[in-house]
Amino acid sequence: MTGMDAILQGGLQGYLVVALLLFAIGLATVLLRRTLLMQFMGVELMLNAANVALLAFARFRGGDAQATVFYLFIIAVAACEAAVGLALIIGLYRHRNTTDSDRAAGLKQ
Amino acid sequence: MNKYYWLIPILPLLGSAFNGLLGKRAGKSVVTVVGLGVVFGSLLLAISAFFAMKALPDHRLILNYGEWMGTGSLSVPFGLAIDPLSGTMMLVITGIGFLIHVYSVGYMHEDEGYARFFCYLNLFVFFMLMLVLGSSLVLMFVGWEGVGLCSYLLIGYFFETDFAPAAGLKAFLMNRVGDLGVAIGMMVLFAAFGTLTVSDILTQAGHLAPEVGFGVLTFATLMLFVGATGKSAQLPLYLWLPDAMAGPTPVSALIHAATMVTSGIYLICRLAPVFTLTPITMDVVAWVGAVTALFAATIGLVQRDIKKVLAYSTVSQLGFMFLGLGASGFAAGFFHVFTHAWFKALLFLGAGSVIHAMHHEQDLFKMGGLKAKMPATFWTMLVATLAIIGFPGTSGFASKDEILYLAYLKHPALWVIGVIAACCTAFYMLRLFTLTFLGKPRDHHAFDHAHESPVSMTLPLAVLAVGTVAAVWLGWPKAFGGDFRIEAWLAPATTYGQLHAAHGEHGSHQLAWGLAAVSTLFGLGSAVFGYFSYKDGLAVSEARAAKFPFLHTLLLNKYFVDEGVELYLLRPIRWFGNVLWKLFDVIIIDGVGVNLPGALVRVFGDFTALFQTGRVRNYALSMALGAAVLLYVFLK
Amino acid sequence: MFITFAFITLLGALGMLLQKNVIVAGLCMVASFFGVAGLFVLLANPVAAALQIIVYTGAIMVLVLFVIMMLNSHEEEKAETSRPIQRWVSVALVAVLAVGAVKLVLASPGLKSLAVSGAPVPGAMTLQKVGFTLFADHLLGFEVAGLLLLAAMIGAVALTKRNL
Repeated sequence: MTGMDAILQGGLQGYLVVALLLFAIGLATVLLRRTLLMQFMGVELMLNAANVALLAFARFRGGDAQATVFYLFIIAVAACEAAVGLALIIGLYRHRNTTDSDRAAGLKQ
Repeated sequence: MNKYYWLIPILPLLGSAFNGLLGKRAGKSVVTVVGLGVVFGSLLLAISAFFAMKALPDHRLILNYGEWMGTGSLSVPFGLAIDPLSGTMMLVITGIGFLIHVYSVGYMHEDEGYARFFCYLNLFVFFMLMLVLGSSLVLMFVGWEGVGLCSYLLIGYFFETDFAPAAGLKAFLMNRVGDLGVAIGMMVLFAAFGTLTVSDILTQAGHLAPEVGFGVLTFATLMLFVGATGKSAQLPLYLWLPDAMAGPTPVSALIHAATMVTSGIYLICRLAPVFTLTPITMDVVAWVGAVTALFAATIGLVQRDIKKVLAYSTVSQLGFMFLGLGASGFAAGFFHVFTHAWFKALLFLGAGSVIHAMHHEQDLFKMGGLKAKMPATFWTMLVATLAIIGFPGTSGFASKDEILYLAYLKHPALWVIGVIAACCTAFYMLRLFTLTFLGKPRDHHAFDHAHESPVSMTLPLAVLAVGTVAAVWLGWPKAFGGDFRIEAWLAPATTYGQLHAAHGEHGSHQLAWGLAAVSTLFGLGSAVFGYFSYKDGLAVSEARAAKFPFLHTLLLNKYFVDEGVELYLLRPIRWFGNVLWKLFDVIIIDGVGVNLPGALVRVFGDFTALFQTGRVRNYALSMALGAAVLLYVFLK
Repeated sequence: MFITFAFITLLGALGMLLQKNVIVAGLCMVASFFGVAGLFVLLANPVAAALQIIVYTGAIMVLVLFVIMMLNSHEEEKAETSRPIQRWVSVALVAVLAVGAVKLVLASPGLKSLAVSGAPVPGAMTLQKVGFTLFADHLLGFEVAGLLLLAAMIGAVALTKRNL
């Protein structure tokens, strides 16, 4: 199976390319969007990209259950992040009446 | 009784604390009782201690109250040492001190700072007693510095005026120079003897041979002498004493005539066995003393302020004392301290009485004819004047003659200088006396209001006059059939069993008679000259001044020493200080040392603050950039 | 099948990136997560796929949408100042990273050897396997994760409550 075939038919490299592109889009969201909610969702995307890569490796190296367990831990952390992050966004909105991260530049001083 | 003697210095300290802290609230009568009571108490204790010491076989009463500080080989005891020298001095301080306290009650009774004045005066007595009685050089140094402080406080007592605080500062600064000398001298003595306890130093010094040439001890004694010139107002550090007359007159009498200014002489007498070992220092002491005596006496000739005349007279008399010490006449020098304490205190208090009567007029030229108005002051002043000019039979004659005799034995030139100085003394004292009490009043307004001073002021005058006369009993010279008993009396303290004590070559009695006759004749001649120059007012002297304009101006301006110091010493120092301030302090320390690092950090901070936009996206971007670089480096 | 799910994933993500309306963007992300779940199924890992749908598309996305509704600001606010440098550096960086990483993955011989079809295909992941591994090898990690979730919950409550 050549490289392009592997990608198109769901070989390891195919999954990795999807993961990388997913990560790049997540990063682009964080860097280009100013709304904190959007940036937050970008971060979630990047986490998912990591998950895809993790599980793809696990599958192509023998189907171990370890990776799934780590996937479990990752979504636990992601859930925590979601809870705290969203709480922070709500707090900011209450104080500044904005969800624009560029306007919350008070840490400068 | 021995266990109460620590109260001798402590009582005045307690009095000072009381007057300083509570005096203002307690009222003048309480302050008077406390201020006088503590000094009288310590006078009684001092008399008791004096006789206790006299009863001891070796005349040495050393009271030790434990170790003050001990480090390494240094051990400084906290103790009092009473021997003939310090005992006599102690009596002078408490005795004359008490009389002056009494006098101050009358003199200062209208003053606002009555309690403050007695606080300072008590404090002074405390420190002076520490200086005299301290059994170690360190304790003496405490007293030495303390009396300097009190001197400063009392000179600047009238702090609302412009010149009094300045005069106090001047005295303090000049004394600092001397005090440094004392400190250095002490250290060198410690290096040489390994102890700072006076009796140990003197015992060790007793076993040493005189130093040949310039050695360690010569250096130490010279440094101590520098301190003595500061405290005792000798050339070149005499400038502060005339200015010190800005203080109240009782202060001038107590501190700047009778006691504190003689502490330089006391220091040398105290360490006489060490000074005896250093002939070079002794020469320096003698010559500095002689030159100062003449120098100050000539300035005294033309001063108009009654206290200034007495101040220069004091400098001059102190010079006599040093001349006596330098001629190995420790007893003679100290005897002059003793007699001078009586008659100069009397002169100052008499002058104070006159000033008091004339409503703070101090100009001699505005006085005159006060004899009729102030008989008590007149007669007591007459006694003191006769003593200071060396009228035969007075105590001043006895002490001065002994000094001049010893000076002649050391070097005839010293004797000549001394005699000239004595002539000047006789002249200016008669001038002062005549202008004040005789002749016709020149300021009728002030004269009409003049009055005799209250009993609290005239009584001390009378007691001092008696003391002035009686002091002669202690030291009538041997040449005139006396026994100069003070020499034998002080011997335990000044020779300290010294093996090589210097025995001046004793001349014959004929020589002593001849020298005394010459100096007395010259002295009385100038006194008569002084009397006739001023008995009819100022015309004669003005005519004479016009004949010697240069000399007159020179003397009137005190040889322009103050101006010279200002021009050649103070101005360069100020200039140098300015340079240091503007160049070193402002540019180098403030600029390069402090502000430059600060500015660098600030600039760097401002620069890095550019990256701290506060925007999350920027931070995320730089993080991603960093991650990209890391990826590139590791996966390349 | 792989191509389909990959497209769903990436298109959803792209939609999220470009969509102005936050609600629509959130829904795009849900689509993307579904795509990821599909990929997990293709990876013979139904457990992960189920978790993905339950946790992400279920819990987290509901939370996000709930917050979006609550804040009531669906459109992105107008920028105070345009920041072209930030924008173009970001775009360039993302492009370089994506292209570089993809090239790296395709060129890597190790990955190629792993990806050969001859590799043994293991059986599908079962909940039993995951359970054994989780409670045998990673019991402590499991407990810590539980504690972390508790802490996050308390933190979130503390942050949002007005008068604590």
